[in-house]
Amino acid sequence: MKLSAFQWAAASSLLLTISAFATARPRYGGVVFVSVSEAPTSLDPADTTQPDSFTRRNLTHLVFETLVAHDDLGRIGPGLATSWMFDAAGGAPSWQFRLRPHVILHDGTVLNPAIAADSLRRANPSWKIISDADSVIVECDVASPRLPEELTLARNAIVNKSTDGKLSGTGPFRIADWQPGKKLTLAAEERYWGGRPFLDGIEIEFGKNFREQVTALELGKSDLINISAEQSRRISSSSVQVWFSQPLELIALVFAHAPQSPDEKSLREALALSVERTSMTSVIAQGMGQPAASILPNWISGYGFVFSTEADLFHAQHLREAVRIRPAWTIAYDGSDAIATLLAERVALNARDAGLQLQPTRSATADIRLERIPLTIDPALALSMAASSAGLPPPTIDSDSAEDLFLAEKLFLASQKLIPLFHLPVVYVATSALRDWSPQPDGMWNLDNAWLARDLSGSSHP
Amino acid sequence: MNFRRKLLIVFALTVVLSVAAVGLLISALARRAFARNEEERSAALMAQFQREFDDQGREIARRVAAITTSEPVVHMAAELDHGESASYFELAKLTAQDYEVDFLEFVDGSGTIVSSAQWPAKFGYPEPAFASLVPLAGKPAFLKQENLQDTSELGMFAVRNAKVGDHPLYAIGGRRLDNNFLTFLDLPSGTRVMLYQNLGEASPQLSPIDSSSTESQTRHAADKLALLINATRESGREMTAAVHWSSDAADDEMFHAIPLRGPVKTQALLGILLIGNSRRSYVELERRIQASALLVGGGGILLAILMSSWAAARVTRPVEKLAHAAREVASGNWNARVAVEGADELSQLADSFNRMTAELVNQKDRLVQAERVAAWRELARRLAHELKNPLFPLQLTVENLLRARQNSPDQFDEVFRESSVTLLAEISNLKAIIGRFSEFSKMPQPQLHPTDLNEALRGIAQLFRAQFQSPGRKPIECVLDLDENLAAIPADSELLHRALSNLVLNAMDAMQDGGTLTLRTRQKDDVAQIEVSDTGSGLTPEECERIFTPYYTSKQHGTGLGLAIVQSVVSDHHGTISVRSQPGRGTTFVVELPRSPQTSSTGTEPDASLRDEDVKTR
Repeated sequence: MKLSAFQWAAASSLLLTISAFATARPRYGGVVFVSVSEAPTSLDPADTTQPDSFTRRNLTHLVFETLVAHDDLGRIGPGLATSWMFDAAGGAPSWQFRLRPHVILHDGTVLNPAIAADSLRRANPSWKIISDADSVIVECDVASPRLPEELTLARNAIVNKSTDGKLSGTGPFRIADWQPGKKLTLAAEERYWGGRPFLDGIEIEFGKNFREQVTALELGKSDLINISAEQSRRISSSSVQVWFSQPLELIALVFAHAPQSPDEKSLREALALSVERTSMTSVIAQGMGQPAASILPNWISGYGFVFSTEADLFHAQHLREAVRIRPAWTIAYDGSDAIATLLAERVALNARDAGLQLQPTRSATADIRLERIPLTIDPALALSMAASSAGLPPPTIDSDSAEDLFLAEKLFLASQKLIPLFHLPVVYVATSALRDWSPQPDGMWNLDNAWLARDLSGSSHP
Repeated sequence: MNFRRKLLIVFALTVVLSVAAVGLLISALARRAFARNEEERSAALMAQFQREFDDQGREIARRVAAITTSEPVVHMAAELDHGESASYFELAKLTAQDYEVDFLEFVDGSGTIVSSAQWPAKFGYPEPAFASLVPLAGKPAFLKQENLQDTSELGMFAVRNAKVGDHPLYAIGGRRLDNNFLTFLDLPSGTRVMLYQNLGEASPQLSPIDSSSTESQTRHAADKLALLINATRESGREMTAAVHWSSDAADDEMFHAIPLRGPVKTQALLGILLIGNSRRSYVELERRIQASALLVGGGGILLAILMSSWAAARVTRPVEKLAHAAREVASGNWNARVAVEGADELSQLADSFNRMTAELVNQKDRLVQAERVAAWRELARRLAHELKNPLFPLQLTVENLLRARQNSPDQFDEVFRESSVTLLAEISNLKAIIGRFSEFSKMPQPQLHPTDLNEALRGIAQLFRAQFQSPGRKPIECVLDLDENLAAIPADSELLHRALSNLVLNAMDAMQDGGTLTLRTRQKDDVAQIEVSDTGSGLTPEECERIFTPYYTSKQHGTGLGLAIVQSVVSDHHGTISVRSQPGRGTTFVVELPRSPQTSSTGTEPDASLRDEDVKTR
């Protein structure tokens, strides 16, 4: 039958639509290759020997789940717990989390409250946790409205640890092969309660420096890399997707001890005043960060601008001259961190201008450490994380109000255990083949719903 | 020291001195040669270093120039015009890696560091040496001390200006002066190079860079070389010194220190190039020379011993034999002869000695014979003289008797009686004379027993006291000067008395006009000394020589046997008697007797000849 022009046009449009629809539609299959610079040696979220980092949080998120989680807008939502409530009526205030039923762990076990309770106890030995038929109950000494927020932290992910140390989670991916510090191979969990992920697996290579990551990306050997913010300007973004989070990582100087005398307080203040945050941010961080004199970035707290980031060398020198005995401090930095050396040396230079003696070192013990402190979008939790890095107890925050938060932060800063320098965003770079990859405001790369849009038969991956 | 030892010493000294002289000469020549070689080597190395230095400098300048014209740098210079520098702060490090330079800084026209390879954190800081570096843009490379975060390093730098836009951009690049630089030098064996950096007044110790050693060895070297380094720093001139690494001289090194300066000559020293030449080969050669000299010297001494022994066998033995024979002859063994071997001078000497000895024996025999004849003649003369006196009256008396018998028979009886008396008297006199001769001829052997000489002299003084004061003569004073500590000596008191009496009588005869007779005893070592001194007329030297000859007398009367008897007694006592006298001053007879009994070792007869004034006889 001979088709008319109109019919041809309609048929063509339909074909095009079908084709386009087929292109945009997620596909199952494929393995995403990821390169990161860190090299964790343990996947156990409760392992406190491993430093907190976005990479570690991301890994935890792929394999394990928390009772509650942040959604795309940063709100607390259900995770492995479907509901939760605070019960202050009983003898001791407590939070009760009702578990999601029929959740199967990677080892085939059905998740039950006892497993969840055990996992939480391992992560929080001081908590009193009990389990009943379908719930996990956490008792608090005082009313702790922030417990759900705390339960969103990666370390509170639910893990079933067997007697031989094998870890099982409930996440969309299970551990297929684990080479500590080198490589992690994840396979899609077919029985995931949220639905099998589109990807068949994720292969993550650890300990790759920037050049290796970029080379792997360019050669198609990596689909996703996690780079430092200051390195992002070296990425030509025409063929890749570069994603920047809000400033979520605090670069700070953390003192090993609290000040022991008024003179030391003056010297620490002089150090804080001598640091040129602006030049550090603009040059070392290549303009990717924000100078910070506060712990929380302004976009989280809203009051970050109150803390002055300008250096005041004159005041710093004045404070220093008032002190007769000037100690020679050491400042430790992570030698594997690309900008850490520069920052440490720059801080030492600035300090020298103020008459303070600061010696950079790679030694594990030093008077001051240059730390990268990953924050979170919850301000109270973020302050707690910072306090934990500084070896301080979590700050007491009466409410979520900005005033209470400000006071708590101000008190924290007054301890002079920590000198903020600047905030940096988290940066991910992915190939264009990786689709529906939606990093979250809290810095998670969120590969749960990601899929690969390349020809799987012609994949160049090994 | 005997001849053999002298010979040995002479030979040994000859050998040792010769070897020592040769050894010293060779050592001196070797030392000079090594010193010259050292200088030449150092000069060559210095020239090589300078060439390498210049080559490196040109290369650095070329690279820095290339950097300033490279696209990233040009691009940066253009961007800097617009004030954008933040994104280039790592450019220096990357460019330095690409162009293989150790130091690289990009500094804008105001002297602010845009990017630094050696100290990346210094971006935005002023370059401290900017004012002095700008004039060096486009000039050859120079030495500069680069201050880093924890230390300072010495490097060769060049400055170039990237002329892009309105604002200059300076590239200050360079290479470290370190082991890698030194490895370019072609070092001969035994030579090494060290480079010292002057870290400034705050760090008076210098930081060495050794091309060949470990860090600990380099630190040790720095300590040892501190003196030389400090001296070079203070003087600012090339210096040379020997460095002793250990107690073994072979480990010594001769170091030449060459100061290294920056572009401004008045600036402090930036570093010192040390060229060390091992003295091991020289010291070992010197030791070999010394060892050889010692070996040769030792061998020479051994040879000298052998040669001296051989020479002694050839030379000194005959001489020793000759000396022994001479001693034998001197001690009275006239039959001592020396065997004559060969026909050399020593043989001739031995032959001459033998002939001399034989001649002496003959002469002695003839002399003894002559003396015997003379003594017999003297005896005969004396005898004739002594006997003539009594015989003449005997003859007259007998003639008188004959005459009386013939002419006056009636008076014959009286004449016979008178003549008989005279005959008997003269016969008695003859008998006395003959008795004295007989007595002298058979002097008895002394019977030795402890005898107190002082008592003997006192006895004699007492015996002759009356005669000293006898009327008809001038008085003689007898003085006793006796050593009361004199012990008794073995002697025959009878013979001794006789001998001393004879001496006293002689003294009395010499003092016809009176005088003083002194009898003295002394103890001397192992002899007892008796002196009999008078103040008489004295004796002439000729009389002194002959006075002990039997039958010789200076008196008008007397047998001349008195002193001979004294001499015989003294000789039998193994003593000696001597006389001291001068005419008009008296005479002293000195008798020395041994204090202990001894036998004569030579058994010689008394020497009849008198040799000098103070005569001693045995």
